[in-house]
Order: sequence, then structure tokens, then C-alpha cells
Amino acid sequence: MEIAVCVKPVPDPETRLRPGPDQRTLDVEGVKFVLAGYDESAVEQALLLRDQLPGSTVRALAYGPAPRTPEVLRSCLALGCDSVTHLEASAPVDDPMAVAAALAHVLASRPADLVLVGKQALDDEEGLVAPALGALLERPSFSSVTDLRWNPERSRFTFQRSTDTEIERWEAPVPLVIGLQQAWNDPRTAKLPNILKARRQPIDTVPAATIEAAVAGRNGRSLPLKFELPAPRAGARMIDYSTPAEAAERLVRLLREEAKVFP
Amino acid sequence: MTPGLVVIGELRDGRPTEASREAAGVAYQLAAGAPVTGLLFGSPEDSLTSSWARDGISEVCFLPPPTDAARQAGALIPGVLSVLSERSAELVLLPSTTFGRELAGGLAARWDAGAATGVTAIHRGAAGWEVRRPVFGGRATETRSLSGPRAVVALRPRAFPAPEPRDLPGASTQRSMPEVGAVAKGPTLVGTEPVLTGEGPALGDATIVVAGGRGVRSADQFHLIEELAAALDAAVGASRAVTDAGWRPTSLQVGQTGRTVTPQLYIAVGISGAIQHIVGMIGSRVIVAINSDASAPIFKVADYGIVGDLFQIVPALLAEIRRVRGR
Repeated sequence: MEIAVCVKPVPDPETRLRPGPDQRTLDVEGVKFVLAGYDESAVEQALLLRDQLPGSTVRALAYGPAPRTPEVLRSCLALGCDSVTHLEASAPVDDPMAVAAALAHVLASRPADLVLVGKQALDDEEGLVAPALGALLERPSFSSVTDLRWNPERSRFTFQRSTDTEIERWEAPVPLVIGLQQAWNDPRTAKLPNILKARRQPIDTVPAATIEAAVAGRNGRSLPLKFELPAPRAGARMIDYSTPAEAAERLVRLLREEAKVFP
Repeated sequence: MTPGLVVIGELRDGRPTEASREAAGVAYQLAAGAPVTGLLFGSPEDSLTSSWARDGISEVCFLPPPTDAARQAGALIPGVLSVLSERSAELVLLPSTTFGRELAGGLAARWDAGAATGVTAIHRGAAGWEVRRPVFGGRATETRSLSGPRAVVALRPRAFPAPEPRDLPGASTQRSMPEVGAVAKGPTLVGTEPVLTGEGPALGDATIVVAGGRGVRSADQFHLIEELAAALDAAVGASRAVTDAGWRPTSLQVGQTGRTVTPQLYIAVGISGAIQHIVGMIGSRVIVAINSDASAPIFKVADYGIVGDLFQIVPALLAEIRRVRGR
């Protein structure tokens, strides 16, 4: 089985957030970009499935500028992906629909049986790429997926999708696009010899001009205008009390009269 | 010419969900007097949409409800596109739920639209629709411009007020659209189970969430959290410690690896406040923390805090809530 896993370089989760000089986006000065969040689970799940299904390969794809994008693809190699493809860009790509269009263009020329995507990126949290890829590649697409397993007797995947009220259990043959919420395991960490080996492994590239030509016909655009930090929370107002009943009475009064959120 | 504005809603028990009503209220304001089309998957006979009409929907279109095999956004898109084209739509609003986000991504791809999810504010800007949305788990906010002729915007549940009932004539027509397009073959729905075991509202759709953490100590004692939630008509949430220990199903988990919730009131009981959890609830309007450890990080993000033994505080709180609510 050919498995494609699409990842996005995102700021290290420990990054101290602040607006950049133009106030439009995050200040990326000195920020380390990594594989993180649901994308990390998607890579883990791809590798687990490959190990379960002899003859399978895992190819990681990412769209974005150097050096952050090839660096993250190298970490995919270090984790055990068989090959990686860098969709080159001259600048950071801020529009999720442009990302989906670019990935769809490349995946159309070399289709995968299973396309795995994190259900949303750690930074922008849009969650648009998996369903957009499904629509563009004309394949069934499911997001918020857990417990993705291959059933060899039925030659189908089984998985769960969490909606707001239900957990649905599905069966589906390939080809399929999955926005993953959780892998079976916590994501593995790369071993040092593999990190060193990954430095010498090749990265396939698709030139920026090719990608730009492929997505140039799109009309809809999403552009960042402003990046702001919330006013810092002052910290909780601590409720003084001498008995639990008094604490309860004071809290309920504050919720009713001050916060006005009591039902 | 006034832009065609379409709201795609979700039905639960035959009525538009709260989040769908919020979307209708936003659309009514943006339309400034122009008609707003509402789109539902269901049938007029089995649905009560009068509330939606009062929220600002001028006409309700029904597409056939998805069959089990078609409970995937991709199968619904052809029907939606036919309505959008008929209405010369420029903007689609829908709730930013699991369903709404999947539909938003697929629809924007096929409709060649700009798209944004999790949106907490929208207005018409110089170059298109401007939307605000929390990013990085609520640690920052971004404003985006959706330019181009079409946009799909998924609105975060509870970020907008429930619409005031307006003295509107109500939906003038309700009509069923013909089924358009074939159902994607292959995937089959094998079964479903409800996310919640209790009576309360759905976690993603609740005005109040009461969540318990490691401090609750055992599966049995977690009933205390559920009782508190029931007394407030709230949804029940849990930290990862609770779901990892198997005290409650993972569907209740709030946080990075679980759900993001944005209720009006979030009460965290026995939750220390690891960043993993914080990112899933920081968007709540008012946060209450009850914890025995005064140095727990949860108190840094909470609005009101009580330091104390939850096994004493929660029963007292239950009694007080029942007294005040008269039940």
C-alpha cells in the first residue's frame, strides 16, 4: 500500500508568541519549525500501518519555504518515512486552500492509496486541508478520525470519527483521505543514528514555479492581516471563605451578579 | 447587488442547533435587510424551523438528509453547490463543528472560495470579508481577509450570542431541492454510539461545561462532576488524566488531543491546568477553578478560584445551585 502523509512545519510548541514587525503574522525570528501536534500523530500512524502491511511505503509531503520545510521533512525521514517530497515555495504559505490545491496537484500525478493528514495544524488550527484534499482528489474524506486500522480479510480500513454527539464507526476501501485525530500510540521519537542518516537522504523537490502555475487559477484567497496576543489574564480572583457553604454561596453570587453566566 | 448569503445549518432532534441559530443571527446582521437563505439536510415534515426564521432566515431550503453511507461532507457538496449557484451566493456561513469544518473545506475547494474556520468575528472589510479567529490554542488571535468572489466561513459555536427573537415574517417558503449528484461509493457506516452517557448537552455545543481532572481520584467519584453538570444543565468534560485512566471515555477529553470548547462558563474541578488542557478551554468566556493546590497553573487562566478540597466544595456548590435554581 502506498501511504502519503502531508505535514506542515509549525513553530515549536514552546515558542514564545509575539507579532512580527509588520504585525500581520507571528514573529518567526529565531523560531524553530518542527513536526508537531496532529501531524506528528499522522506520521506515527502511517509508519504503524506500513509495518503492519508488508510492501507498503510511506511518503511525506510538505509545502513551504526553505529551510523550515526541508528540515521538517528530514525529521520525517529520521522517524522512518521511506521518501519525502518538498513542494517548494518562495515565501511562507498562509492560505490553507492554496496548500490543499498544491498537495492535490502533486498527489494527482502520483496517487497514494491512503492520504493521511493531521486533522488540523498546531498553529492555524483551520482543519481545512483534509476535506479540501478529498474534494479535489474526488475521494472520500473523513476528519477527526481515531483508531484507523486495516482489515486484511475485508481489504478495508476501519476507523472511528467523532462528531459532536456521536462516535461513528466506519469501514472504507482505498483510496481514502483521512484527517487524523489520534494514532494508536504516542508519536515515536527519532533515534540519533537515524537523524544522522536522514541528513544524507535525498529530498524530492517540486519547483515553486510548477506549484504556482498549478494553483494560479484559484480565485478564493485567505490572507493574514493581523496577529495579536490576548490581553494577559489577571489571574483568578480567589474566593475567601471559612466554610465550603460560604465558598459556594460567594461563587454563585459572583457568577450571577458579576459574570452573569449563571443559568 | 446584494450578496447572496447562505447559512448551512445542522438539525438535532428536528430543530436547528444552537450553533446554527447563532450563524443565522450573524447572517441576518451581515445581510442588512437582504434575504438570507437557510440550508438544511432533512425534510420540512420532520423539522421545526420556525425558530430559525425568527433568527433571520428568510427562506429554508431542504436537501435530502444524508443516507448512512453519505454521512460525509463530500457526498453533500453537489447539492449545496446547486443551491449556491441558484442564489448567486457570495458567502456561506456554517457552524464550526466536526460536520461544519469538513463541509467548509470540501465546499471551498469545489466552489473555489476562500475559507476560514473557528471564526469568532466577521465583518465586511476593504478587500473582502475580514474574520477574526483564535490560533495556537487560543494563545493568539489572527485577523484574515477572505478576498475573491466567494467565501466559506465556519463560526465557532458560542462565540456569537444567541439571536434575539425578531418580529420577522418568518420563512416565506420551505422547499425541498432535488437530490443532485451521486453518493460516493465505498465507505459504509457500521455503527454509532452516543458520545455522552448522560442527559446533558453535547460538549461542543454547551453553554456551560463542568470538567473533572485527576483530583477527582476515581471513576466512581467522577459522578460528583456529572451531578454538578446536571445541576447546571452543563456538558461534562474531563482532562487527559481522567480519560487515560479510563474513568471516562476519551470523547469527553478537553485539550490538545481532545476537544476544544468555548462555552460561556467553564468550571475546572481538580484539574491542575497542564498546557495540554489549557489550549482546549482557554477560549471560554468565564473560567472557574476549584483545586486543592493554590499554586496550580489553572488559577493563572481562571477568572474565579477556590482553593480547597473538591469533595467538600462541590457538594456545597451543588446544594447552593439547587437552592438558587429552585430545584
